[in-house]
Amino acid sequence: MTDGPALAREHSLPQRAGRARYLALLVPLFGLVELVAHFYFAQRAPKSEEWTAARPLIASWYKAGAVVVIAPYWAEPMARLAFGDELMPMRDVARPDVTRYPEALEISILGRRAPELEGWKVGREERKGKFTLRALENPSPINVTYDFTDHVGPSTAAVRIEKRSTPVDCAFNPSATLESGGLGGTPVYPSARFQCPGEAAHVFVGVTIIDDEKSHPRRCIWSHPPGNDAELVTRFRDVPLGSKIHGHAGLGWLIERDRTVPPFTITVLVAEHEVGRVVHLPGDFWKPFEFSLAGAALRPTADVEFRVSAAGGGTHVCFEADSR
Amino acid sequence: MKFRREPGSRRYFVDHLVGATLAVSYLIILVKTARAIGYARDEGFYFRAASSYAAWFEHLFRDPAGAMQRATVEMYWSNNHEHPGLVKSLFGLSWNYLFKRWHLFADEGTSYRFGGMCFAAAGLWLVYVWGARARSRAVGLVAALLFAAMPRVFYHAHLDCFDVPIAVMWTLCAYCYWRSLENLGLGWAVTTGVMFGLALDTKLNAWFLPPALVLHALLARGGFIWRGLKRGQLRVPPALIGMAAIGPLVCFALWPWIWFDTVDRVKGYAQFHLNHDYYNMVFLGETYWRPPMPRAYVWVMTAATVPAVTLLLFFIGAASRLRAMLALVSSRMAARVKDYDPRGTDLLWAIGLSVQYAPWVFSTNIPIFGGTKHWFTAYPFLCLFAGVGFEWIAERVRSLIEGGVLARLPARAIDVALGAAVLAAPLAETAHAHPWGLSNYTPLVGGASGGATLGLNRQFWGFTTGAVTDWLNQHVSPGQAVYIHDTAGESWDMLHRDGRLLPNIGAAWSIPGSAFALYQHEEHMETIEYQIWAAYGTSSPVHIGAYDGVPIIYVYAKPGQMIR
Repeated sequence: MTDGPALAREHSLPQRAGRARYLALLVPLFGLVELVAHFYFAQRAPKSEEWTAARPLIASWYKAGAVVVIAPYWAEPMARLAFGDELMPMRDVARPDVTRYPEALEISILGRRAPELEGWKVGREERKGKFTLRALENPSPINVTYDFTDHVGPSTAAVRIEKRSTPVDCAFNPSATLESGGLGGTPVYPSARFQCPGEAAHVFVGVTIIDDEKSHPRRCIWSHPPGNDAELVTRFRDVPLGSKIHGHAGLGWLIERDRTVPPFTITVLVAEHEVGRVVHLPGDFWKPFEFSLAGAALRPTADVEFRVSAAGGGTHVCFEADSR
Repeated sequence: MKFRREPGSRRYFVDHLVGATLAVSYLIILVKTARAIGYARDEGFYFRAASSYAAWFEHLFRDPAGAMQRATVEMYWSNNHEHPGLVKSLFGLSWNYLFKRWHLFADEGTSYRFGGMCFAAAGLWLVYVWGARARSRAVGLVAALLFAAMPRVFYHAHLDCFDVPIAVMWTLCAYCYWRSLENLGLGWAVTTGVMFGLALDTKLNAWFLPPALVLHALLARGGFIWRGLKRGQLRVPPALIGMAAIGPLVCFALWPWIWFDTVDRVKGYAQFHLNHDYYNMVFLGETYWRPPMPRAYVWVMTAATVPAVTLLLFFIGAASRLRAMLALVSSRMAARVKDYDPRGTDLLWAIGLSVQYAPWVFSTNIPIFGGTKHWFTAYPFLCLFAGVGFEWIAERVRSLIEGGVLARLPARAIDVALGAAVLAAPLAETAHAHPWGLSNYTPLVGGASGGATLGLNRQFWGFTTGAVTDWLNQHVSPGQAVYIHDTAGESWDMLHRDGRLLPNIGAAWSIPGSAFALYQHEEHMETIEYQIWAAYGTSSPVHIGAYDGVPIIYVYAKPGQMIR
């Protein structure tokens, strides 16, 4: 057997000249630098108690109607834990986008910025410990006159299925059975929803949350059409109109990512006139749409209908919209 | 580190003594730290399988003939037959004897895990002995400690899973083959065959052993084999014959499931893994669930999870050995004879390392869902080269000191100081990673928060439930149920059986039926968190298990439920 010392003979050292000899010392130094870096990075992000301690300051900056945005996004759960629904209500956390907000309060750690607030004007900035607070103003503020997702209820909306012009009303049930599909399944079927008689449980209209292509939450109106080109129609009454209908539609990234789902169509009618049509193809994911109201905007209010249809057996559809 | 040369047998005894000391020390650390780690999904499945196999052994001791009957074998061994039986048998026997009968463990879960921990401990012993014999004790010692101080290895070393066991068995088989090259007698050849059989019965990675060792034989001894063939002699290393002749028989003997319908069942086993589902894995912010998988995955994840100084030492060690090999090739015949390594040690280590990475280098169809554990089998070899790198550096530092003011220091003191300098970071990172394990990233990518910013996976298998059991015990009222998300039912049950969870905290299998809900963050599972929000009507968790400020596991409470 050839043992270690024999095999190690080639290690007999040539005498090295000059500074190159000292390069060997860099290795233990590198190890020590890594050790210091380890302790630095382990302490770099704020801990839960630091988020909690920052809450009073955040609350003092917070204005009603503003949205709290965390950068980087992965730290948002720490903020939700510390700030609660008062500063970060689910409606804002699962927002369709930031265009509807006149102001944003960006809480930044690790020197990161929120990409969705790019171009917003910094009105105020303060560093506090590991946090940087920025009050930002929307460079193109808009006035949302009506958020359809906030009005899915019997006093403001009515739902029906239209099959070959024969309407079937879907009744609102405030205490239907709550259902959730788990991983790869459907999103939650909320207990308050319009249920359609004679249809499968997933054919309903109600507010739920889906995941977009970045796995971000999107609060939206579930509107699964029954298929065979039948339309699931949600009619909102006396909607205060702006100059356009702005919205998004999707069906959840995890469900759509294989692109094997059928396309669907949402037709938007204002005062019985079609103002636009969304055709969602597999792979569109959380897709924005915007329709000008043109002549319809001359009215202060009107009924607005979202007519959702899909070929075959139908498909999951979730949309949100506002008038602005 | 210079040691006085001892007579062969004494030297080997000391080597094994050091190896055993390392192994026992590591085993104690693993056992003492196991309770803090929650149970991973796969562990839960293996608890059940191991218990079933243990029951078969009971049957075997009680009624050997009956235990061999097809119906009996299938009753006990059909459970989890997509993986071989050796390691699960050891988990089960450990549980049956060390927990149930002899009461040596307080925690039932730890008694199952003990089988896996023994492999990890043996791995240190093996790496030390191989490094010491091939190079020097300093090489062996540093290599073994660097292997122990890999945060991901340390996490997996606790589990009743196969990833660390196969890394050790693979290395052990390669070591036996290497020993067999010292002489062409039967002893090590037979041992290699037996070890190959045990490796086959551990995990499918063993399939790579024959091509790896044949490649080594061809490269290291191709001329010798060729000259033999020309003379009509088969000069194949006997260990390879041992592997072919003995390995499958050992695997067959120890895996009762394949005693019947052998061809179909072996084929089924192979098909299961060759056509394995592509589970989800996030990498640089993108979730991969079907081919093509990212080619950069193995390199980035190795760089992001193996301590940087370990990698640096590896590169130095590998480069120094490559340089030595090239020098040997270009040297005169006399020098070649003097320094010739008939076992091709460097080549064997290089092959041992490369073959583990090769699937992801050459194919984008290989799943990545298991993260770094897929190529754990490379790490013993990586550490052996790192040990060589340490020795190379130590020799140069010593030569620097000669003639200087520090020359009076004993060489060993310098080595110890150097060893401390290169081991400090890996040890600190590994200790700090516990019990989060899979959430840990090295400073090279900015630690755990850097990993999160880069969009690297924070966990899988739902094991982090173990990090919130204290909170659940304090805040969940009797009779309230917790939606356990990615935690397997058996893993949750084991938390109860260990007394880590109060018995009256139940598991809910759906969100609507729960009062509390766990969410173990994985990018593709965000939809689960949103289902919790929609069902509970809040997006604010009531507790988060965080690692270095990075949220890992969130607890939600249904509003209106009483929280203690």
